[in-house]
Amino acid sequence: MDKEKIYIVIPAYNEAIVLGGVIDEIKKNGFHNIIVVDDGSTDNTSHVLKNKAIIYVRHSLNRGKGASIKTGFEACKLLGANSIVTFDGDGQHDPIDIQPMIQLIQKGFDVVMGSRNYQEKHMPRYKAVGNSIGNFITWLIYGLWVSDSQFGLRAYSQKAIDNIHLTSDRYEFDSEIIREIARHGLKHCEMTAHVRYTEYAKKKKNKQSVIGAMKMVFRMLLTG
Amino acid sequence: MIVYIILICISLWFIGSKFAAFIRHEHNQTAYKFATTLFIWGGILFTSLFPGEVRRLSQQMGFGENLNTLIFFGFVIVFILFFRLLRSVENLERNITELVRQNALMDLKTKLSAQSK
Repeated sequence: MDKEKIYIVIPAYNEAIVLGGVIDEIKKNGFHNIIVVDDGSTDNTSHVLKNKAIIYVRHSLNRGKGASIKTGFEACKLLGANSIVTFDGDGQHDPIDIQPMIQLIQKGFDVVMGSRNYQEKHMPRYKAVGNSIGNFITWLIYGLWVSDSQFGLRAYSQKAIDNIHLTSDRYEFDSEIIREIARHGLKHCEMTAHVRYTEYAKKKKNKQSVIGAMKMVFRMLLTG
Repeated sequence: MIVYIILICISLWFIGSKFAAFIRHEHNQTAYKFATTLFIWGGILFTSLFPGEVRRLSQQMGFGENLNTLIFFGFVIVFILFFRLLRSVENLERNITELVRQNALMDLKTKLSAQSK
């Protein structure tokens, strides 16, 4: 596997506590091309990343996870990436899932979507319910059924990022990708991925709320 | 009766001032804006001048009193304006994001073009 053209995009907003560790873990798994898109963090995220050998891109204003990932995609296009993995900066994703996802991309898939196993004991019940509702609404609006429409660990081919046209800035971005897959007939598959619900991740202030989810559905209906 | 007179005066003033601005081609005065003014204030003027006609029309449409008709159409206009405003805000947000993105990628583009030289 040629890792020269594989890039990991990490959208980060106020993740100074864990982001350094996340980057170190990804590097231990053999992936060194890391792009961190700092979405206008107000903590010392930028300070934590000073001595890390990464590509650092900073939004001067907070624009949302979707906007950060799109900036990451643009950076990947500039760098000539042929395989891209989006990876959350809060430590919930496990870097051991990156390699199998890249292998699927290199086998010919355009998008590989990570999905959570909600049967595992440590998975919060409310997340399973919320995810089912999200999947149903995504299917209703965009016409494609996936088992986890809201999971951020995904891999993309160069063809995928060239064709995907995103307009959402916030959390509805995860569902918008589904629309783009259906619209462009991108070859896609799902892969069960590991999830770590750490105390930090559970207490995070930035995460999707019920009101945020309702706003997301409203925006999905408006933009179609 | 006094209410109708006040409404007639206010409507005539608004229509007159917008008409004057439109024919003088003042900044931001478009035909669409003038037509919107005519629709809203023209409607209020017509209701004030011919309340009987409007009452008859309201009853035919099933609204009952003139005020109900006015309130109904008022709500319709408010909803249309609300969605137009929402769309404008969405466009602004998109433009801001694009500017922030271009600014964020500037350093990377500079580094890459320096490396390629």
